[in-house]
Amino acid sequence: MKRMSLSLLAAMGLFAAQAVFAAPIELGASVQKTGSFANTGRYYADGYQFAVDKINEKGGVKIGDKQEKLHLTILDNQSDVNLSVRQYVQLLTQNKVNFLLGPFASNFALADSAISEKYQIPMIQGGGASDQIFNRGFKYVFGTLPPASAYFQTTVDAMMKLDPAPKTVALLYADDSFDVSVAEGAHKILAKTPLKIVIEQKYSSETSDFNSLLALIKSKNVDAILVAGHETEILNFIRQAKALDISPKFYSFTVGVSTADFRKALGSDADYAFGMTSWLPSSSLKDDYFGDGMQFAEEYRKRFGYEPDYHSASAVADVLAFVKAIEKAGSLDPKAVRNAIVNLDFNSLYGQIHFNAQGQLELPQTVIQIQNGKVVPIYNAKGFIGKPQYPMPAWKQR
Amino acid sequence: MRKALLENLNIRCRHGNSGKYKMILLWQVLVNGVLLGGIYAAMALGLVLAWGVLHIVNVAHGALIMLGAYVSYYLFTFIGLDPFAGMPLSMIVMFGFGYLLQLYLLNFMIKAPMFNTLLLTFGLAVIFANLAQFAFSADFRIINPVYAGDNFVWLGATIPLVRILAFGVAMTLTLFLWAFLTYARYGRAIRATAQNLVAARLYGINPRKIYAMTFGIVGAFAAASGVLYGVVWQINPYIGSNLTAKSFAIAIIGGLQNPLYVIVGGLFLGIIESLSSLYLGPTYSDLVFFGILVLILIVRPTGLLGKTA
Repeated sequence: MKRMSLSLLAAMGLFAAQAVFAAPIELGASVQKTGSFANTGRYYADGYQFAVDKINEKGGVKIGDKQEKLHLTILDNQSDVNLSVRQYVQLLTQNKVNFLLGPFASNFALADSAISEKYQIPMIQGGGASDQIFNRGFKYVFGTLPPASAYFQTTVDAMMKLDPAPKTVALLYADDSFDVSVAEGAHKILAKTPLKIVIEQKYSSETSDFNSLLALIKSKNVDAILVAGHETEILNFIRQAKALDISPKFYSFTVGVSTADFRKALGSDADYAFGMTSWLPSSSLKDDYFGDGMQFAEEYRKRFGYEPDYHSASAVADVLAFVKAIEKAGSLDPKAVRNAIVNLDFNSLYGQIHFNAQGQLELPQTVIQIQNGKVVPIYNAKGFIGKPQYPMPAWKQR
Repeated sequence: MRKALLENLNIRCRHGNSGKYKMILLWQVLVNGVLLGGIYAAMALGLVLAWGVLHIVNVAHGALIMLGAYVSYYLFTFIGLDPFAGMPLSMIVMFGFGYLLQLYLLNFMIKAPMFNTLLLTFGLAVIFANLAQFAFSADFRIINPVYAGDNFVWLGATIPLVRILAFGVAMTLTLFLWAFLTYARYGRAIRATAQNLVAARLYGINPRKIYAMTFGIVGAFAAASGVLYGVVWQINPYIGSNLTAKSFAIAIIGGLQNPLYVIVGGLFLGIIESLSSLYLGPTYSDLVFFGILVLILIVRPTGLLGKTA
């Protein structure tokens, strides 16, 4: 009898505990924590976790008059697209998560967003910028990176205002979804300018040796090189350009330049490289949870030991967008939250969050350049905001 | 494919400056291909040795190269030891690693069917890559001595200093291995064990030790090519699988009989890659190379130069 009353008491206690601490809001993502994409994938795992912890620390998400905590499930897709698709199905069917956060890289987001669409669960992803993700008429995928086709817009604008402006361009790009979108966009942007494309070459994402392409570039004496590729390829490209003594007046890369890891690996050889970023830490970017962009960057660096770049900030923005949308919808109903996401318009550490008709943020890219090992903002939609080091000196004169 | 080829040729004809420039470009790309091939040969040496002598298709070979590259990276970055000067030290470290790996793990599988050792080494490759990420992080690393970007001009072609050094090291190592297997007592013991285990035993050879030493040499050669890789390209925990695939193809072309044939396989891969990148575009270089590989296997199933396993 005594035992029975005890267990009854325990059961009641459990019940009471459940009533006080309601089930948290489940967010799920499949991210590249290992494998060849782990280098950038970890920024998403870290960014998501950082945002969830911060929001819980500030009390959680307000639904009606209740405060709910967030709970994050991150699975490791080992840089395998097929596995990531299976894991998104698992997140929805077994882990029963409420909403989905995205993986890194466009070809992953392209495949994974088919799952969110099929199950009609919103996915906000900060790792896929390819236009292909957003021109399929999907209703449940949203992206916080600016459209890939516009990546080189501000760079080309800036190039036209340099003195003397480059005349010939080589456009090189990897053969994945994101880089192909970037190159198609860049081709159209360049076609509207007097710049002449003398080399336009696609390369396989596995390429590590650029010597043949570099020899071709040298033989044509190209003024400017635009490369859309992955960080590892760009590291190899710059090293090999130096070894073959090839220094155009200007070169710009879609990724790498903004990340601390890239600058650390190359050291002074990274100098003069131009790049682009949709985000720079700034105190003018006010945020309800993190104070502002600068404070966010500082806190992030302290926790993870490296400086955040736009990947991390974009990941944090994904979580913030869900929080705002859930609060606005006042429920966890996927359709209601999806409709709230469509109408979002708020300021965050990442910038203004307001999705366009396709579901993508249209943040303009800021042109950046590495000068003496530091990232210097050079040009944005308003014009020059820093002094470019141009033309790039020959390798032997550095 | 045909359309892309014509388009590419068209672009080049329209923008090509003159015949002379085209010749210089071709010359430069050929030189690049030869230098690249030398490094490829160095990578494949260890794989050929393990395959030919131990009958282990070592899928973890690329992972061993990766580990060797990290050893050299840490020696260079934290002790300031020049990668070429420190190469013997990296080789000794990886020799020990390979020796112990064979003695305490692979030896138990040495008589198992080849498919089993293949699975085992595949597992090892996965473990090495993940342990490397755990220990060294997923950061990209490069071995960057001050002379890494130096170059000189020879007959109109720009020669990167580190590539010619790497080429020289690769050739020296290959010749050394050939001489070792042909003339040295231990080398002959290794070959004897591979040819006839019973006879070798009767002559007082301890096969367990010989196998361990052979795999130690595999590790040492992987370390050497890892150093060359880190000086020319970038290192991360996941470079291995690609390097295994390249080494494997070289082994098929060159055959397993003679280390000197590995040079031919390496140069073949390097030159084909470079030329097809230039004339067809870099997206096609793998297609061309593996296409040729398939053709070789159809026409000469024993490999270009002799017997494969």
